[in-house]
Amino acid sequence: MGASDRLERIREGANVADRDADEPTVLALVVLAISLLLLSPIAWVLIEASEMPTGRLVELVVSGTTTTVTVNTFVLVSAVTAASILIGVPLALLTVQTDLPFKRFWTVTAALPLVVPSYIGAFAFVSAFGPRGELADLLAPLGIESIPTIYGLHGTVLVLTLFTYPYVFLTTRASLISFDGRAVEAARTLNASRFQAFKRVTLPQILPGIAAGALLVALYTLSDFGTPAIMRYDVFTRMIFVEEQARNLDAAAVLSLLLLVLAMAILAVESRIGASRDGAYVASGDHRAGEIQLGYWKLPAMGFCALIAALCLALPIGILGLWLVRSAGAAPAGFVFEAQHVTNSVMLAAGAAALCVVVALPIAYLSARGDGTLSSLPERVSYVGYAVPGVVIGLSLIYLALRFVPFLYQSLFVLVFAYVVRFLPQAVGTTESSILQVDPSYIEAARSLGYGPITSFRKVVLPLVAPGIAAGAALVFLTTMKELPATLMLRPIGFETIVTYIWLVRGAAYQGQAAVPALILVGVSGLSMLVILRQEG
Amino acid sequence: MTDLNSSSSRRRFLALGGATAAGSLAGCFGLFSDDNNQIGVSLSDFRGSGPLVESRDQPGGTSIQDLPALEGELTVYLGGGEGGLYVDLLDLLEQAYEGFTVNHRVEGSSSLATTIIEESEAGASQADVFMSVDAGSLGAVANAGATQSLPSEALDAVPGSFQDGDGRWVGFAGRARAIPYNTDRLSPSDLPDSVHDFPDTAALEGTMGWAPTYGAFQSFITAMRLNRSDDVARSWLNSMQNHGITEYDNEFAVSNSAANGELAAGFANHYYSLRVQSARQNAPLDLHFTEGDAGALVNVSGLEILNGTNNAELAGNFVRHVLSSEAQEFFATRTFAYPMISGVQPVGGLPRIDDLNPPDIDLTELADVEGTVDLMQDVGVL
Repeated sequence: MGASDRLERIREGANVADRDADEPTVLALVVLAISLLLLSPIAWVLIEASEMPTGRLVELVVSGTTTTVTVNTFVLVSAVTAASILIGVPLALLTVQTDLPFKRFWTVTAALPLVVPSYIGAFAFVSAFGPRGELADLLAPLGIESIPTIYGLHGTVLVLTLFTYPYVFLTTRASLISFDGRAVEAARTLNASRFQAFKRVTLPQILPGIAAGALLVALYTLSDFGTPAIMRYDVFTRMIFVEEQARNLDAAAVLSLLLLVLAMAILAVESRIGASRDGAYVASGDHRAGEIQLGYWKLPAMGFCALIAALCLALPIGILGLWLVRSAGAAPAGFVFEAQHVTNSVMLAAGAAALCVVVALPIAYLSARGDGTLSSLPERVSYVGYAVPGVVIGLSLIYLALRFVPFLYQSLFVLVFAYVVRFLPQAVGTTESSILQVDPSYIEAARSLGYGPITSFRKVVLPLVAPGIAAGAALVFLTTMKELPATLMLRPIGFETIVTYIWLVRGAAYQGQAAVPALILVGVSGLSMLVILRQEG
Repeated sequence: MTDLNSSSSRRRFLALGGATAAGSLAGCFGLFSDDNNQIGVSLSDFRGSGPLVESRDQPGGTSIQDLPALEGELTVYLGGGEGGLYVDLLDLLEQAYEGFTVNHRVEGSSSLATTIIEESEAGASQADVFMSVDAGSLGAVANAGATQSLPSEALDAVPGSFQDGDGRWVGFAGRARAIPYNTDRLSPSDLPDSVHDFPDTAALEGTMGWAPTYGAFQSFITAMRLNRSDDVARSWLNSMQNHGITEYDNEFAVSNSAANGELAAGFANHYYSLRVQSARQNAPLDLHFTEGDAGALVNVSGLEILNGTNNAELAGNFVRHVLSSEAQEFFATRTFAYPMISGVQPVGGLPRIDDLNPPDIDLTELADVEGTVDLMQDVGVL
């Protein structure tokens, strides 16, 4: 009896497994409990918001400022998302489907900008292209008096796009790699042009991948405070920050609720694109489409990759280098950068990554294998925390921890929980897409061989989805390394990380002291990015 | 307070540009020389160096030597970005006393005030002392009933206008509002003596900068509301906007931009200019002070003892140390702040605090940032 026959017979036997009707219930209950925990920070937002008198609430919601920041935020999110797709998708196509020279190298440089915190990117761009910046200094001897300003909407879009497009690049790349190239070949033999084949075969297959990346970009943009603040563009997060600083917590909460409405709208749009999972469930990537010959497009293609790498990597690292060289003398004693800062950051990020993986698995499994809207609801819920600014999560967890788990207040548990709330969807997304690629009949086969549900999951599914889990862990790791506001508010006394150190010296206007830790941050996060790329092959 | 004839020296004080400086750390003396189990820390450890720290007189006031030793463990919430510099002071005090340890947490003043109020409401205070760079956040914590009373020795050392009327907080370093300006682009006579004349001054049209999200700026607007009225503040903000003004995200950036000519002038706390000057000695930057209005507000860094502490005696002793002559010399020469005790001078040619003419307001009332933010949002500045 050949192996395939044997498999066939096992598959037939798999129907037996259907009788364990209670096992999805257990899974659903676990996922429900997790979802409620993940949503707990919203409880504070509701409590605070409800304390605002109705009159003031209405006044705030319909005020001119609120309208302005809503429009500004909407414009910003749309522009950054669109621009990220325009950069991320071509880069993914070039590095997966063409004969681009030095493909490995360009894959790495295209993914790496994600390790640069966008606020550091923003400083670098202001430093380089701001009035009296490096570029202005360079051009001054040539008689060029002033350069167009980098501040405002265009600067904010530029910086946010350059440091978040890798989300689109990575998810698109992953779906390109796993998608079956024979379909394209078939289309080509049917005389479809290359473009038609792309539009009618490739695009529908990779659309959920693009949408998944675009969702991360859009929600990141929605929740980011640092970049718009530095680039002087008014958005929701700045208004929330201002209210928080003025200790108007009720107003900050009401604004956060409005922000959540925007996030729900984005999630709804993405659901419509991502819902057609047909494209996501594909065999394995054994059959890639034949390489596209770039021909004389090779040089422009490499030029495009090089331009992005120069803007996203060479420029910020160069500016950090300049700060390093120019920083004069030793730091004041309170500013000594210690190895402990790095260890603390790495430890926290690793803890957050590990916990996210564990929490993401059941959510992703239920969403991938469950039927209907209800089972994918927890997956949607996991995105809510990602859209809420870190400062709101921080305030909320201070409030909740003090009241409900005072013994955990100012402990690393609360801090790691904050990271899980913020960054879980990055792990859920990658885990879910790898589960979708596992043929469901395998696990049924294992069940029919008498393994329990957990054992068969461990023996059959886990090895197959491990690469997706590792990629998710690495994503959580590097975003946790960069996180500032929640870290600042929730860290235990005396516990400092790389970013809290950067915040301290930057706040005291000793930016030269921030260069070394920023370079270390980029370096350590860069290593975890290599893990993601290695897993994808 | 009377204003003197010092306006020219006041305006020129930053122009000590190329002055050599450094080596002039005369008057180093060992502390605790007659004490047995304490590590020696000398005045020179507290004192800064560089061009702005000219040869200085021996500071007056109460020396650390004359205070009871610090002993035990103290937890301090440290508000403000310059926390790094204040951490240096905590380190020095730890060096001075073997049995003394400080745990600290650095965050924005306003965020820490919120945290302290939350902790206090939940009956789970974590810190003994709150040190903040803004009287408004000290006032907010005090008004929330989260403070204990301060030792009278500490309160007595500081002028009444720089402490809370009920003795709930006390200032330890002053920060004056000022107008940093570029001396290549403006001369002192271009700058009006009243902050209310700025929107009508043609030489300043379209060439000034401010940082409206910055706490110090919001305190300045709060002071304007207290000193004049909400309507005056509203119309001042409106006319400044119509006059053309550039927004920055912090006041160091405002001062720096004035130094490099991107701006002709701006609104900022005084010490940022000294910081710029200290790093770039020939920067064409000077400071202007207005007279008797919010533009000349002197806000304070101050501290208070939190009501959850079971360390009140140590905390009180710590407050007295922060007001000692050595610590005051530290704030004057390292953070370029105004010292709070009369025996210590400000750095360089900075006008003496008595020569400034700040508005007559109760600094605790700076806690009403809420009203200010509403107003600023209303006129579209925020």
